[in-house]
Amino acid sequence: MWPRISTWAAEATAVFAKEWRCELRTRYALNTLGLFAFTTLVVVSVSLGPLGVSLSQGTAVLPVLLWVILLFSVAAGLPRAFVQEEETQTAIALRLAATPSALFCGKLVYGLTLVLALEALITPVYVAVTSLKVVSPGLLAGTLIAGGYGLAAGSTLVAAIIAQARSKGTLFSVLAFPVLLPLLLLAVELSRSAVAGDPAGVALPQLLLYDASVTVVGLMLFPAVWNP
Amino acid sequence: MKNALAWLLWIWLSVVIVGAFKYAPLAKGFIGESSRILFFHVPMSWVSFVAFIAAGVWSLMFLFGGRKPKHDRAAAVAVQLGLVFGVLATVTGSLWARIMWGAYWNWDPRQTSIVVALLFYGAYLALRSSLEDADSRARLSAAYAVLGLAVAPFLFFIMPRIMFSLHPQSVINAQGKIEVESRMVQVLLAGSAGFTALFFWLHNLQCRIESLSERKSALRDRG
Repeated sequence: MWPRISTWAAEATAVFAKEWRCELRTRYALNTLGLFAFTTLVVVSVSLGPLGVSLSQGTAVLPVLLWVILLFSVAAGLPRAFVQEEETQTAIALRLAATPSALFCGKLVYGLTLVLALEALITPVYVAVTSLKVVSPGLLAGTLIAGGYGLAAGSTLVAAIIAQARSKGTLFSVLAFPVLLPLLLLAVELSRSAVAGDPAGVALPQLLLYDASVTVVGLMLFPAVWNP
Repeated sequence: MKNALAWLLWIWLSVVIVGAFKYAPLAKGFIGESSRILFFHVPMSWVSFVAFIAAGVWSLMFLFGGRKPKHDRAAAVAVQLGLVFGVLATVTGSLWARIMWGAYWNWDPRQTSIVVALLFYGAYLALRSSLEDADSRARLSAAYAVLGLAVAPFLFFIMPRIMFSLHPQSVINAQGKIEVESRMVQVLLAGSAGFTALFFWLHNLQCRIESLSERKSALRDRG
């Protein structure tokens, strides 16, 4: 039992390390995600105008815009984790080297670190630029972590599906959006509570439940998606 | 025998349609005759719900029950039909909303849920059409449908609860009590049963058509 778990963990860690090594060689995802998010942020901020929005409007509108920025940035950068494997034809070697669940977890943790890095970079800038007042920053941080995890988990599974199809780029958005929408609604709900200083309510357990169910379903389905 | 069942279904649905206009009374608190559209709206949304659940179950059976092509075909046909019924439910619902709420569309939680469900199954069909190889098409689209089955509860059950809704209570509400007049319940239940039977009849026909056309193209390939 234990040797098997440690091999599994070693495989997952190796996949994670390999992803980051490849990433740091080209910095493709980091550049795409970071620049995409920053560009959208600038567009949002410029469009809101020099006066921004009023305090009451800000509570309703600004969390939505933050999550829209995050969603589209993720759609721009994360699918590459699997698309690249198919394009460079390394998928076959990867199928031989790692068990599907270890591979899924490795890729998922890679996606999660990428999303969290993005959030850590973008959120403070966003809060500063829009002069958003956050009453409970702890709740916002928790929402960003739980929401970021859900974004990474959902995207990883959908990316594995679209990597084997034609017209990958557009297909990712089409397939991922309905899957991620419940997460987005819950995350926006929680971010509004954090901005206004309201209690989290049932939305937080529901968000965690969403994360858990996407993870379980991902682990269950990934072998079927990955192995032809 | 099958013919007799089809005739029975035809008579049943005719009775339901006449009953919706002549037998059932008007609901209290509804403008004019607007409550009559609900005898079609409720069965349509019920059938699209059944279709999407069935598609998920057939996809599960495909993935974990020996990868039989008939399960894949059944899931795909269920999604196609579910989309048709889902669009009909959306259109009848928004016509009714125009009369009662003053706008065709106002992002009520249930409207949100059904639009996301329609987007999801539209995406399912888009995924199918962009996969050429039959095996990977079946495998990947089944995985996507099961993912939908896991996400759907969040839309269908949780979102309507945490968002403000103008939508009337379901026929059977949270306390398990029926608060609608009994003749209306009869028509609603008969309609739901009839349209569900219609769905399975259409499903059976379409599956047989697709199976035959697959066999035909296989024969043509062989020369």
